[in-house]
Amino acid sequence: MATGKEFWVFSEKQNLLSELAAGVRSLVDPDEGLVAAVVWGTRQESEQAAGKANRVYWLGERPQDALVEDCVPTLARLVQEQNPYGLVVGSTRRGKAVAGRLAARLGVTVVTDVLEFQPDGDGLTARHMIWGGGAVRLEKIASPPVIATVGPGVFDAQIVQSVSPGEIIEVPFVEPEWRLTLRERKTRPPAAVNLASARKVVCSGRGVANMQDLSMIEELARLMGAEIACTRPLAEGLDWLPRERYIGVSGAFVKPDIYMGIGVSGQVQHTVGMSGSRVVVAINKDANAPIFAQADYGIVGDLYSVVPALINAIKARRGT
Amino acid sequence: MNVVVCCKLTPDPGDLEVRSDGTISLDRAEWSIGNFDLQAIEAGVRLAQPAAGKVTALSAGPRPIQNSKLKKDILSRGPDELVLVVDESLRMADTAMTARVLAQAVRKLGPVDLVLCGEGSADLYFQQVGLQLGEMLHLPTLNAVSKIELIQDAGSSPNTLRIERSLEDELEILEVPLPAVLSVTTDINQPRLPTMMEILKASKKTVTEWALSDLELDGSPQGQIEVLDVRAPVQVQRKKVMIPGTPEEAAQALVGYLNKEGIL
Repeated sequence: MATGKEFWVFSEKQNLLSELAAGVRSLVDPDEGLVAAVVWGTRQESEQAAGKANRVYWLGERPQDALVEDCVPTLARLVQEQNPYGLVVGSTRRGKAVAGRLAARLGVTVVTDVLEFQPDGDGLTARHMIWGGGAVRLEKIASPPVIATVGPGVFDAQIVQSVSPGEIIEVPFVEPEWRLTLRERKTRPPAAVNLASARKVVCSGRGVANMQDLSMIEELARLMGAEIACTRPLAEGLDWLPRERYIGVSGAFVKPDIYMGIGVSGQVQHTVGMSGSRVVVAINKDANAPIFAQADYGIVGDLYSVVPALINAIKARRGT
Repeated sequence: MNVVVCCKLTPDPGDLEVRSDGTISLDRAEWSIGNFDLQAIEAGVRLAQPAAGKVTALSAGPRPIQNSKLKKDILSRGPDELVLVVDESLRMADTAMTARVLAQAVRKLGPVDLVLCGEGSADLYFQQVGLQLGEMLHLPTLNAVSKIELIQDAGSSPNTLRIERSLEDELEILEVPLPAVLSVTTDINQPRLPTMMEILKASKKTVTEWALSDLELDGSPQGQIEVLDVRAPVQVQRKKVMIPGTPEEAAQALVGYLNKEGIL
């Protein structure tokens, strides 16, 4: 077992916090270790967390205009006082900011977007993707406190509501050295799609010449009952589709029954996000496109003739 | 307005080769500026130029970063000068070590209004160095910055930025007092392609090279991560059936296959 003592979790997202609390459970000694959640939020949130962890460090209520990141000095002091073995932070953009700033204060480093932890002798190893998904690195983190970030869906541990809620310890808030003036906060429209759980995915790539052409691909997706996805340039840069729809190393990871790539060349940064698909179909006019090496079924051809033909073939089979 | 833009120079991830045993090789890779750092350079140049400010590009890494083509590439994108911290020990630097070296280099450069970093490096993509650097310099620091504008006070020199921060489910508009350290997103701008003129100008710009010892760091920086293994992700074996024929024939055949797979 890597640790005899406390393993902490922190996330501004309640669901992710529960996932992390369940996930680090296997990293602590079942007899002597404990899982503690750090919460800066309402009393109710701290009580919810206490249902998932042995202990909650509650930094009090977070004011409306505060940034979550303002708790870094408090976290740093708490870590110094309590000496947890590690802290896993939910891997959101905010989470990465908290982890990085905290680590700098403590003089340690951070491993982000960890895919898997393994106890290793007196320490802990972590797997992490590097080179845009081209390689996976196994690394050992030298000494505590181990600070890492983990994204949603990585730990597949069952979230267990504990019978006896953990104790809630109130922690005095340390005023940060600087605060920024928050002028406005705009909520983005909620994500229309959870690609990670989609059973069928139709993905457009750079082979699609114009934004209007997506409607043809949308028709195919509707017919198949598939979710629409894309490669990164279509969501960032071209802005043809919302960001939550791009598959790849910094975007969504999918594991559907079928992934159909249309005009997708198959750069590793993208394919790393779809390699878990059961069946992969590729349609591309370039016979040398790398995606064909990762496809179960490939059609070399112009998507502008293959996609309409495919729509017709599906309709014909269904007799509509 | 003095802007320092940090960028990481690495072997080009596109040149990564997978050996038959699954390990990877970058021996034949060309080195390049990190993909996600180009936007930071562009953002720095766009902010500083109208204010007649100066942009210094800063990078730390092992000897290959001294490549003259690389230097020219950076400088042709608009920075006025380039500072390199070169040491072989930086080849395996973790984020904390990189941030520490950069922080010391920024201090040595003298008064700075703004330090910019990209979204993440092309090799490790930990998305950490900007944040750690900001904290080490005791300056306000943020990541995910998707817009930056100077708040122009009549008469006085600008000392505050209004920035937009792009988070997963919300946007924040914040005022950030300078000096500050910001990490920008990849969609903050569309980086320019250097013109012939800028490429010619680049070779006349100043490049300063420092060794680690020039930074007078307190003790030699050491990594805290031991790399045990690096290998390509295991490839799923695929059927690789290439379907021939006209689009109509191929489409029909594909529908047949998918039906057999129980998908349609």
